[in-house]
Amino acid sequence: MGEFKVHRVRFFDYMPGRLALARADGAVEIFNFADSYFQEKVMPGQDGRAAEALCWVSQRLFSAGLNGHITEYDLENLRPRHTVAAYGGPIWNISSNSQGTLLAVGCEDGTVKMFEIQQERIQFQRNLDRQKGRIVSLSWHSSGMLIAAGMMGMIRIFDADTGHATQRLLVERGIGASKSKEVVVWCVAFLSDHTIISGDSAGMVQIWDGFTGTLVRTHLVTKWDVLALSVSQDESSLVAGTSEGTVIQFQFISSTVDQQKKEWVRTRTFKNHSHDVRALAHTETAVVSGGMDTQLVVRPLLDKVEKNTQESALRKIAFPHRSLVCCAKKAGQLLFQFAEHLELWRLGESDGHGKAGDLLPVKRKPEKLLQLKKKGDNGVCVVFLSFEPGWLAYSTVSSVRLYRLQYDNNISISKVSRLPKDLSSAHQLCFSSDSSKLFASTSHSSVVVIGLDQLECKYLHTLKPKSGSRQPVHLMFASDDGKWLATAATDCRVHVYNLNKQKLHCTVPVYSSCPTAIAIHPMTGNLIMAHADQQIFEYSLLHKEYTEWSRKLQKRGLHPLWLERDTPITHITFNPRNPAHIIVHDMFMLCIIDQSLPLPDATTRLYNQMTLRSVPEQERLRHSHAFKICKSFQHLMCVSLLEDQSLVVVERPLLDIVSQLPAPVRRKTFAT
Amino acid sequence: MVRKQRGTKTSSPSKTADREKRTKSLSLTLEYSDDEAPDEVTFEDSKAQALRSMKQELDTATREKELLKEKRRKRQELFQEQKKRKLLPADVLEEIHSVPLGKRKQSEDEAAEEEQQQEEEEDETRQKKKKRSRKLAHTRHLKGNCTVTTMKEQTLGSYQQQAAEDFIKTRLYGPGSCRTTSNELLSLQNKKGRNKGAAVQFVKEDWACKQKAKAEKLKKRWIHKQQIPPC
Repeated sequence: MGEFKVHRVRFFDYMPGRLALARADGAVEIFNFADSYFQEKVMPGQDGRAAEALCWVSQRLFSAGLNGHITEYDLENLRPRHTVAAYGGPIWNISSNSQGTLLAVGCEDGTVKMFEIQQERIQFQRNLDRQKGRIVSLSWHSSGMLIAAGMMGMIRIFDADTGHATQRLLVERGIGASKSKEVVVWCVAFLSDHTIISGDSAGMVQIWDGFTGTLVRTHLVTKWDVLALSVSQDESSLVAGTSEGTVIQFQFISSTVDQQKKEWVRTRTFKNHSHDVRALAHTETAVVSGGMDTQLVVRPLLDKVEKNTQESALRKIAFPHRSLVCCAKKAGQLLFQFAEHLELWRLGESDGHGKAGDLLPVKRKPEKLLQLKKKGDNGVCVVFLSFEPGWLAYSTVSSVRLYRLQYDNNISISKVSRLPKDLSSAHQLCFSSDSSKLFASTSHSSVVVIGLDQLECKYLHTLKPKSGSRQPVHLMFASDDGKWLATAATDCRVHVYNLNKQKLHCTVPVYSSCPTAIAIHPMTGNLIMAHADQQIFEYSLLHKEYTEWSRKLQKRGLHPLWLERDTPITHITFNPRNPAHIIVHDMFMLCIIDQSLPLPDATTRLYNQMTLRSVPEQERLRHSHAFKICKSFQHLMCVSLLEDQSLVVVERPLLDIVSQLPAPVRRKTFAT
Repeated sequence: MVRKQRGTKTSSPSKTADREKRTKSLSLTLEYSDDEAPDEVTFEDSKAQALRSMKQELDTATREKELLKEKRRKRQELFQEQKKRKLLPADVLEEIHSVPLGKRKQSEDEAAEEEQQQEEEEDETRQKKKKRSRKLAHTRHLKGNCTVTTMKEQTLGSYQQQAAEDFIKTRLYGPGSCRTTSNELLSLQNKKGRNKGAAVQFVKEDWACKQKAKAEKLKKRWIHKQQIPPC
């Protein structure tokens, strides 16, 4: 049902706690591993600016791409901070020394360029000796004196001080490969004991002695390419990702029990991807891999984590942790956010009579009302839609655009040309329920309020939190009665503003995990928050305290199966007919939380809807509990309840995504 | 073997043709044998014959003339067609129309003179042209709003970027990379997995629409072929 652009994971780099990931459309995402692998920040891409490599230098994030530029990102305002051209053609790799003073980039023209990292910017320092052929991979020695560079058919070792190449390690062409096709050293790692490890297009992981420049050991791991390598912090383990979708672990251990001498031994093979593994990170406890199948897989190493805990579970992150669909409840319209464009759809209709479980015949088919192509180079980061009067707003990194929608027989759209200056870019957009105001979150967690009118739109005021928070707002919700506005920032703070008084009403006590969805109940005026660690809170805005139900839920504790789910709740809606119902959903299920029913304890069955059906009607109430979970819809992008009590479910089956991916490798399986 | 067969096949019709020829010549000789006396022909008959032959000659002469005429006409048409083709494309014509009035008038006058020289047939085309020119005048008004922008610069950098992207593509997906399709991968999963299923293109309805449409067409054709025509 919902269309959704395919992202391909290309490359990422890991920093304790946070992981940055670049997609093929140029978007850069940041995941917080300490907080249930939550996708904290998303920076939309720019046309033709996909990052080929990422590099953390302390808290700063740099990327380099085939467009030949090095970009530093502003993680507070979610945009590129500055961009420097390297003047060496496309950049294949970027790497910083362990001291964090120098950045080295490998360019298409065969140079390794050094950039000095300064307080606010980076400054070109010098070139190392120019080589014939592109520099595909780079790795610094921990001393900062040597750099290994993987090229076409060889690895070069450079002295970082003099800039001269000291060693040349020739990499063998694979057996049976054509002579015209040179081997590509896709990845290289320089260990502190001067061992160099390389992965190449011949499917070999090779271990070299960096002092003498001799080959120590060759492991043929695949018939295709070895595309990524990552070494653990203590250099006792390394992983290699291949085109087959496998990740192969090597460990630095003694091969026999009584032997003292250690060597690199191939130990484990993980197969979690259907397509090429293009990026790898070896954390303390897990192997994180990103593939062409658009998924991020966290595979815990079972010798490093405790068994049968949440940490030891395999995790696949396929969908963004935020809603890309906006639903106009009155009109039955859906707005889909793509990186390049927006699509507005009107839902279909049916007669609406049938038993539970019936498929109703469609009377009117869903109709695509309009497709709006984004302006400029920057990708769309947020959209919002309102109905009666119809408004549509979207924001890119550089600008906000507002459109008026008019519905007579067919839809007409007109751009609002003059927007107030204060509305330069927004992380989140939201209309008030009567469409008279537009809220846009800008830098420093502040919210700009714009008054909307038939004739003009003008700046009204800015809502600011009291504390000097610098983190961007990633969630925003305006209550239906037009009184409250709630915002949640990535530093886990949730602020509630009183729109009548135009000031901060309260700040919800800070919880350690980041909120993934917030909503204000239209009748009770309670704020419902779902967090990345699957906790749910209800906060009364009137009394400025957690409600009785929320306290009870915390005291009882959520069901262990509920806590084990690995996708966050991305949307919360309410049932206007029954105020006790809260409808939430994650990727694999939709759940109606009934506050009037008793809470389940650890011994009751959480997924009990199927068994309840077999129980006679009178006894059902006795067996049912507050969490009514439905799993008949999978890979959910959005669940929303319309005015006419019908539920919209936007599904995006992973199978449909796979069908649009590039070709996987042809592996011969027995008896097929 | 095959060659031999082919040879025999080709030779057989030629042989039969030979035979036929021989028999024909035989029959001819039989018809015009010298032994027979000349037939008697009446005067009327011979006169009629002579008249007929004269008429035929006349007919052929006129036919030839007509043919020649036809040929000339076709040639003329071809030339006209070529001339038309040589005329500037529509967008250039538009631009010509948008040049200052004085100049245009001059050029139009010239065009008018030319047109006068041309035959009646071309008059129609001129009318058409006039129509077109009227339309063009209309569009010219609209074109006034257009702004001239430079094309996005195709710098050296973007070429290099393209080349680098192509390098990755050929290395990973180019010839000799032993890749399959997503369809095959998923179908194999269906086949090998615990819950066995058909190939994906049969399970998913919107998969491989083109191929399915083609198969449907071929199937229809086959069924049509199989049906015995009613006799």
